[in-house]
Amino acid sequence: MINGIFWTVPIASIIALAFAGLFFKQMMKNSEGTDRMVTIAEHIRKGAMAYLKQQYKVVGIFFLIMTLLFSIMAYGFNLQNPWVPFAFLTGGFFSGLAGFFGMKTATYASARTANAAITSLNGALKIAFRSGAVMGLVVVGLGLLDISIWFVALNYFYPIEIGDGHNLVIITTTMLTFGMGASAQALFARVGGGIFTKAADVGGDLVGKVEAGIPEDDPRNPATIADNVGDNVGDVAGMGADLYESYCGSILATSALGAAAFMGNSDMQLKAVIAPMLIAAVGIILSILGIYLVKTREGATQKELLESLSHGINISSILVIIFSLGILYLVDIENMMGVWGAIIVGLATGTVIGKATEYYTSATYKPTQKIAKSTEFGAATVIISGLGTGMISTTIPVIAVVLGIILSFLFASGFDFNNMGLGLYGIGIAAVGMLSTLGITLATDAYGPIADNAGGNAEMSGLGEEVRKRTDALDSLGNTTAATGKGFAIGSAALTALALLASYIEELKIGLLRIGETVLEFSNGTNVNIATATLTDFMNYYEVNLMNPKVLVGMLVGSMMSFLFCGLTMNAVGRAASKMVEEVRRQFREIPGILEGESVPDYARCVEISTKGAQREMLLPASLAILVPIIVGLIMGVPAVIGLMVGALVSGFVLAVFMANSGGSWDNAKKYIEEGHLGGKGSRAHKAAIIGDTVGDPFKDTSGPSLNILIKLMSMVAIVMSGLTVAFSLL
Amino acid sequence: MEINLYLSIMPEALIASMLSPQEFGKYFAVGTKKRTRGQAMFFKLKRDFKSDYLKLDDIEKRCVPDEDGTPKRSKYISIYRVLEHVPMQSIENLYLVTDDGRVLELKREEYTDNTNDALHLYQQLGPVRPLIASSLNPPDFCKTLTDTTQPVSVPKLVFVELILNGLANDPENAPLDNIPYQNIDHMRGCLINLQKKPSKPNKTVVRSTQNDILYRTCKNGFFIGDNETMFYYPMPTREKLEGEYYAWWKSALTQGFNY
Repeated sequence: MINGIFWTVPIASIIALAFAGLFFKQMMKNSEGTDRMVTIAEHIRKGAMAYLKQQYKVVGIFFLIMTLLFSIMAYGFNLQNPWVPFAFLTGGFFSGLAGFFGMKTATYASARTANAAITSLNGALKIAFRSGAVMGLVVVGLGLLDISIWFVALNYFYPIEIGDGHNLVIITTTMLTFGMGASAQALFARVGGGIFTKAADVGGDLVGKVEAGIPEDDPRNPATIADNVGDNVGDVAGMGADLYESYCGSILATSALGAAAFMGNSDMQLKAVIAPMLIAAVGIILSILGIYLVKTREGATQKELLESLSHGINISSILVIIFSLGILYLVDIENMMGVWGAIIVGLATGTVIGKATEYYTSATYKPTQKIAKSTEFGAATVIISGLGTGMISTTIPVIAVVLGIILSFLFASGFDFNNMGLGLYGIGIAAVGMLSTLGITLATDAYGPIADNAGGNAEMSGLGEEVRKRTDALDSLGNTTAATGKGFAIGSAALTALALLASYIEELKIGLLRIGETVLEFSNGTNVNIATATLTDFMNYYEVNLMNPKVLVGMLVGSMMSFLFCGLTMNAVGRAASKMVEEVRRQFREIPGILEGESVPDYARCVEISTKGAQREMLLPASLAILVPIIVGLIMGVPAVIGLMVGALVSGFVLAVFMANSGGSWDNAKKYIEEGHLGGKGSRAHKAAIIGDTVGDPFKDTSGPSLNILIKLMSMVAIVMSGLTVAFSLL
Repeated sequence: MEINLYLSIMPEALIASMLSPQEFGKYFAVGTKKRTRGQAMFFKLKRDFKSDYLKLDDIEKRCVPDEDGTPKRSKYISIYRVLEHVPMQSIENLYLVTDDGRVLELKREEYTDNTNDALHLYQQLGPVRPLIASSLNPPDFCKTLTDTTQPVSVPKLVFVELILNGLANDPENAPLDNIPYQNIDHMRGCLINLQKKPSKPNKTVVRSTQNDILYRTCKNGFFIGDNETMFYYPMPTREKLEGEYYAWWKSALTQGFNY
């Protein structure tokens, strides 16, 4: 029998979706402005939808093949949970749907934000932020709805009141597999979106700014619309799908760990399973409250604008801390204060990572100012100092995650390192705590591209100076929130991947039982019943220790994957951008009067080139992310897969922080100089800074963010394929 | 079709064209089909002067529409020592063109110095292009440089005064922020020398500048003059540039890699 309090989870998800609908309707009531503004917005909307349509075609084929494969594994060879094909499909569907809604809203909102900026900064901020909130609320709403539906449906087939707790393990481990659908969708959205946006941006800039000497967002540049479309597909749809996966993954992995930790105590087991869902549900309501608190005064400074966004997030976070204690009290979970401590640790870890990102990437602080200073000696020193700063910037996030892991483990386990089950549950809860305010934190991320596009629209439409100043202020705010949002996404991915790593053992247990194994036979002659085996039993059985070469090999391959993936995506941007360069050059050459502003460039062709480039280029890295865990598992078995997951997690996390922060600091070092420091625009320092910024573009917008998904997707593939691994591994 | 006469400063040339100044500036910067770009600066000239050197008599014969009837975009009349042979009275408005073809028209006004700056930085634009630190104000600088009795002089001079910010009065201590010039440390040294040795009014910072002018560094406006007369073409205020002339201003601020 499902605990009555569980129903607050689907109710919260419906409330989230209802508010998303309300914000969307409120946004649509505003005017898009002049005919010119409407036309530009339509170009971007059409381009964005054309991209999504093409992406969904490719992803659709991939999902079809994978579903067939899972069906054969499940129904043909009994190697797979029979629900996996459906769970995989729904995960992918809801993740894609979240991206679709978010992007649709963003593309409707940008012109409306620009139009609102004609009269009011606060009005424009409200439209942009609440439109961003549509994305945030759709992600959390659909995520919890998907989880609720599966929980209720699986409870029908595997009633939790029977089975002595095993059914709850089956339910949670089955639900976990829908994360692979979400991960796969997120990978395509993030990698494809990342390649699209940078191909358009770099390609457009190289010809537009460098060769033709025309400014950014100039309607004479054929790649301008593709650049604006790219902001949406990369930072809205990509980021949304990424965090949808982290959000669901953290909740589901924690539930699975809860089910395993309290095996044999079915009452507490159920409480541990629904507690992360309830915390997420409370987070939704408090995020909505926070969204309503975001407002500013006319003529607000950058600091005031940032404070208005921080105000909403901070209030939501503080209230989550207070209300989650109430929830845990109501649920009456074991070691309530310890679990609550893990939630606080999660929120604090997210905040520290966000602040560290801001410190290392904002021009207000010394690291970025030092990079700016290095521009005086040329491009090479800029690159060197950006790389160095990016590497150093990994220290605080890594220490934050390290402390987060240790403290959440200790709090939840009652300061007992041997209490692995509860300790790991605490780590999962910390990830859930970090993501509990996703409704509002994602709103600040999705707000960025809306404000950016609003600025572009105001520019291309020739709106007045005052309007441009307002949209510039909003855009500048968006740049700051985007950088901290990326740090947050990476941090949450690391904790989620860690929870998934622990959940992998639970999947192994189910996989072994499915192929008819009942006991773990150790070399010393002792036997342990699989159904009651602990995590440590499994680690001992599979010899998961550093002296096992399979583990080491797995770790090396996992580490290599992060770098290989980065290299492939960076080169992909280079190739796709070169195609864009050729096209923009062609248009300047063959369409007379573009530079004179007398004829309209073929914007759609540039969108098409970026779309095709992104789709083609994302296939290899995406395929590798899926195939490598399967191949490693089939050849070297469980220890190597665990090594692979660990290797990818540790290298991917650090590399992602490094790339995002290097790219962000190069970008802001350039902006710092453009503000008038070190010779200002046109100086030698500025020229060097432009080169640093261009190198940093794929760092921060393509490869870095894609690593989040890589580490989660490889874990998810390992989890879903655990049955195959235990049945067929060669070594 | 009316034929206009333009005195191009970068490069120095006299050009006849059937295009209006705005059209000519755009054409001059980005061409028609070729993917070229380049900053330009030119004066519109009255066609009421005569010159044996410049051979202006047969312009109507040389500057004719193309066979398909399109107006002649440019016909070079002369490319050498043009500036010195154009009388001051024939010089009309100045046009500043960005490298992607945005054109800003500047009109002549009486020069007044409201800054009382002790030191100045002048970028000479024609006929030679050194960057000069000076303790002279623009009229005196123009007069000194065009005094043909002196060994180092030119008959006529086009120049622009560039911003020095705090360096104009405190070259030793003022910060160099937002000053994008070459040889910046040498420039500070030149300014300090000027302050310490008032007897020497000019110091060369850069012998010949190859780069385009960064319009944002223009302190007050552009000057053209000989030893008798000086015309002043003030730049619009920053507010006007950001509002009224935004497209030109944004283009003027755009920076690529390969400058």
